Amino acid sequence: MIGFLLKRLGWMAITLWVVFTVSFFLMREVPGGPFDRERELDPQIKANLEARYHLDEPRWKQYLRELGNTLRLDLGYSFSRPDFRVGEILAQGFPISASLGIVALFFAVSLGLVAGIVSAVRRQTALDFALMTAATVGIALPNFVIAGIMIILFVFLWPLFPAAGWGTLRHLILPGFCLGAPYAAYIARLTRTAMLDVLSQDYIRTAYAKGLPTPTVILRHALKSGLLPVVSFLGPAIAGILTGSLVVEKIFNIPGLGVHFVEAALQRDYTLAMGLVLLYTTLLYTMNLVVDVSYVFLDPRVKLE
Amino acid sequence: MRIAVRSIIPYLMTVACLAALIWAVSFGTLPPADFTFSNGSEIKTVDPAIVTGQPEGRIVRALFEGLCVWDPQDLAPQPGVAHDWELTADKLTYTFHLREDAAWSDGTPLVAEDFVWSFRRFLHPQTGAEYAYEMWYVVGAKQYTTGEVKAGDPVQIELNRKPQGARPFASGILLRGELMAIEGAEATEGEVDSGKQPGGSDKVYVVKVDGRKRRFQKGGRDPGSEDYRWLLYDFGSVGIQATDRHTLRIRLRHPVPYFPNLMGFYPMFPVNRRCVETYGYPAWTKPENIVTNGPFLLKFRRIRDRIRLVKNPHYWDRDNVRTNVIDALAVESYATNLNLYMTGQVDWISAVPPEVIPDLLARPQGDFRPAPYLSTYYYTCNTERPPLDDVRVRRALAMAIDKREIVERVTRAGQKPTGSLVPPDIGKNLDYKPPQCEPYNVEKARALLAEAGYPGGRGFPRIEILYNTSEAHQAIAELIQSQWKRALGIDVGLRNQEWTAYLISRRTGDYYLARAGWTADYVDPNTFLEMFTTGNPNNHTGWGNPEYDRLVELARNEINAQERMRHFQRAERILMDQLPVIPLYSYVTQDMVRPYVKGFYPNILDTHPLKNVWVDRPEKDRVLKAEGLR
Repeated sequence: MIGFLLKRLGWMAITLWVVFTVSFFLMREVPGGPFDRERELDPQIKANLEARYHLDEPRWKQYLRELGNTLRLDLGYSFSRPDFRVGEILAQGFPISASLGIVALFFAVSLGLVAGIVSAVRRQTALDFALMTAATVGIALPNFVIAGIMIILFVFLWPLFPAAGWGTLRHLILPGFCLGAPYAAYIARLTRTAMLDVLSQDYIRTAYAKGLPTPTVILRHALKSGLLPVVSFLGPAIAGILTGSLVVEKIFNIPGLGVHFVEAALQRDYTLAMGLVLLYTTLLYTMNLVVDVSYVFLDPRVKLE
Repeated sequence: MRIAVRSIIPYLMTVACLAALIWAVSFGTLPPADFTFSNGSEIKTVDPAIVTGQPEGRIVRALFEGLCVWDPQDLAPQPGVAHDWELTADKLTYTFHLREDAAWSDGTPLVAEDFVWSFRRFLHPQTGAEYAYEMWYVVGAKQYTTGEVKAGDPVQIELNRKPQGARPFASGILLRGELMAIEGAEATEGEVDSGKQPGGSDKVYVVKVDGRKRRFQKGGRDPGSEDYRWLLYDFGSVGIQATDRHTLRIRLRHPVPYFPNLMGFYPMFPVNRRCVETYGYPAWTKPENIVTNGPFLLKFRRIRDRIRLVKNPHYWDRDNVRTNVIDALAVESYATNLNLYMTGQVDWISAVPPEVIPDLLARPQGDFRPAPYLSTYYYTCNTERPPLDDVRVRRALAMAIDKREIVERVTRAGQKPTGSLVPPDIGKNLDYKPPQCEPYNVEKARALLAEAGYPGGRGFPRIEILYNTSEAHQAIAELIQSQWKRALGIDVGLRNQEWTAYLISRRTGDYYLARAGWTADYVDPNTFLEMFTTGNPNNHTGWGNPEYDRLVELARNEINAQERMRHFQRAERILMDQLPVIPLYSYVTQDMVRPYVKGFYPNILDTHPLKNVWVDRPEKDRVLKAEGLR
C-alpha cells in the first residue's frame, strides 16, 4: 500500500513537470503577449514592462527561472491582475469553486443515485421512462439553458433566490443545482445500468430467496457493486467540478476559478494560466488516486499493486 | 485489523462528506453597503500609475485625488488637491497652489513634494506606466521615461547601493551629473542612446559628478567603472518642481489647453511615498497597507466579487461626501448585470444586453437613458493593400454603407451614425465642428468603383472584414457585407479572431478592413486625430499625409484656442477626404441608474465620480417596495 502510494506520487511529480514544460512552451508559442492592448503601447514603455517581468530574456532562461520559482511554490504575480500573486488568486477562488462544487456534487450524487436506483428497481415502468427521459434531457441541455430556466422560475416568477452573487447560502442553491444537474443525469444513467447488471446476479437472487426485504437487498447487497462505475466516474468529475465552471460562474457571477481559466488563456496571463493548469493536474491526479484506493474498500476483489 | 479498517471506512466517508457539505454552506456575514454598483470587469490594479480602463478609473478616482477633479456634469477641471492654479502668458508654465488641509489617509499632510515624487515614479521606466506618454508634454519627461541620453545631458545615476536607513523599496543612492561621453561598441559621442536598461548594455557612461569624472557600466566589468541600476535623464531637469511646501510648478514643451483636465485624469494622482517605499508594489496596494488621499478608503478586495470602499475621515472635503459604504461588484455578463439591477441588488449598471434595449427604453421608470459618449466605432483600412490603396475604392465603400441601418437594426440604443472620426458631441464642450465624409450615396459609390476599374463590382479582389469575437461586431460586419453586395455587387469575406490575435493582425497589417473603436481620454480632438499622424503606433492603416501631420503639429503649438480648433478641423477634413478610416457611428453610454441615486449625471466621457453620488434612503425603500423587492 505505502509502496503503491509512493510510486504514484513519483509519477505525479513527473506528470506535473511534463505538464509544466508543455504548457510553458505552448503558451509562449501562441501569438501575442500579456501586453497587447487595443491602445498601442509606446515601444519603450512596452520594453520597460517586458523587462519588469523578465520577458526580454531568452526563453530557456525564463523557463529555468519559472521552474525554479514553481518548485519553491512561488507562482509569481498574475499578469492580468498584477496586484495579486497567483497563489492569492487561487487561494481566494478555489474555496469558492470548491464549496459550489460540493453543493453541486451533493445534488448530483443524491439526485443521480436515487433516480438511478429507482429506475433500475422499477425498470420498464412509466417511472423509469420518465426518470431516464429527464436524465437524457439533463445531459443534452447545456448549463446556460438550465440556468436561464432556473432564473426565470426561481428569481423572477417565484422570487426565492437572489439573481447572482456570492456570500450567503441562498446564493449557492441555484448555481449548485445548475452545475450539478448534468452530473446527476449522468450518474443516474450509470447507476441504472450498473444496478440492472447487479440485480440479475445470482447472489441477489439468493438474498431474495433467503427472504430479505427488498430495501435491504438493494441498499446492503446490490448498491455496493452498483456504485463502482459511479465512483470511477466521480474521480475526474470531482476534479472538474471543484475547479469551477465558466458558464455557471459567469451567469451567477460567482468569483470562483472557472472564469479565470478561460480569461487567463485569452489574456495571455502566463503565470495565472500555469497556476491553474498545475492546480487542475494535481487535483485530477489526486482524485484518481483516491478513486483507486477507495476501490479496495468497496470491492474486496481489488488489491493494490 | 484489515476488517476493522474496512468497516470504519463508510462511516468515515459519511462524516467527511457531511463536514465538507457543512463547510461549503457556511458563510460569514457582511453588512450591506449604502450604494452598490456594477463595475464591469475585475480591475487590474488600484495603483494609479499603472492603471488603464474605465472600471479601474472609477475605483482610483474614489481612492485618490489629483491636483484637479472633473466636474460630474460638464467635466471641466475643478479644484482638487490644488485649490487654485495659474498659467503664464506663453501658456507654458502652470503653477498649482495646494490646499493646506489636504492630507493622506494616515493623517500626514499632503504637500507639493508628494506630487513631485509621484510624477517621478509615474514617469520612471521601472514603473512601466502605460499612460506615461500623457505626461510627455512636460519638459524633459519623455527623455526621463525612455532613458534616452546623449553627451551633454544632465543625468542621474541610481546605484545598486541604498542610502543608510533607507526604506526597503526606496531607490538606491542617486548621483547627479553631466554626461560627458558614451563609450561602447555602437555608440559614438553625441549619438542618442536608447539602449535598453537595465538589460546588459555594455556601454560605459562617462559622467562628471561633483566636478569629478566617473565611469559607469552595467555590472562594472570594465576596469575603473562602477556598477549602476538606472542611468536616466536627470529628473531635476524635468519641468516639475515644488517651489515651496504648497506650490507646484510644471513647465510644458508646448501649450496644452487641456492640461488641467489631464491633472484630473486618474494616472496623474499622487501616491504616498512612505507607503510605497515601505511595502513596494504590489504589497502597498493591499487594504492593510495602502495610504490614499481620496474621498474613500479601500476596505477589502475580493477578486471578481466586490471591492468595498468606506468614507475617508481624513479627506479635506469629507463634509460633502454623503455615502459611507460603497460596494463595486465585478459583474461582466450583461444579462447578469440586468438581473441584479432588476432584483434591486445593484443601484447602477453601465452595460445592458443589446437584445432588450428597446424594452428597456420603454420602461415607465425612465431609468435607462443612453447619452452621447465620446467614442467612435469605425473601420480602419489597410491602405497598403490593393484595392484599398485607391482612395476612390475607399470612398465607394464608405458611401455604400447605410449607417442608419446599423444603428437601427443592430445597436439600437440610440447610437448616432457619424461621418467624422471625432464625435460631433465634442461640440457640447468645445468650439469644434467635425468635417464630414461624403454621405450615403449608392449611385455615386457605384460610379466611383467603376472609375477605379471595377464597374458593377467586376474584377474586384476578394477582401475581408476583420473583427474581434463578439456578436455585435459580427452582426455589423454581416450587415455591411450585405450592403456592399447589394450596392456595389462585391463579395467581401468576414474574419473573426479572438482579441489578442485580432490586435496582432491589426498591428502587423495582416488585414484589409478591421473594426475598431476609440474612446477619448480627454475632451479634445487631439485624442482622436493624433492617432493618424504618420508613424503613430496606433495608426495601423499604413496611411500618412505630410499636410495632415503638419496641421496636427501646428494645432499642438497654437496658443489661440479658436485657431487651434481650425487647424484640427483642416486636418480632419483631409482624413475624411482620404478615408484611411471609415467612421460608422458614435457610441452612447448605457447607464441604467435607479432614480433614488442622486448626484449622477450623464456626460460625454461616461465618468461618474463616486464622491458626488449618494442614495436617497427613504426614496430607495419606497421604490423597491413598490416593485415588490422589499
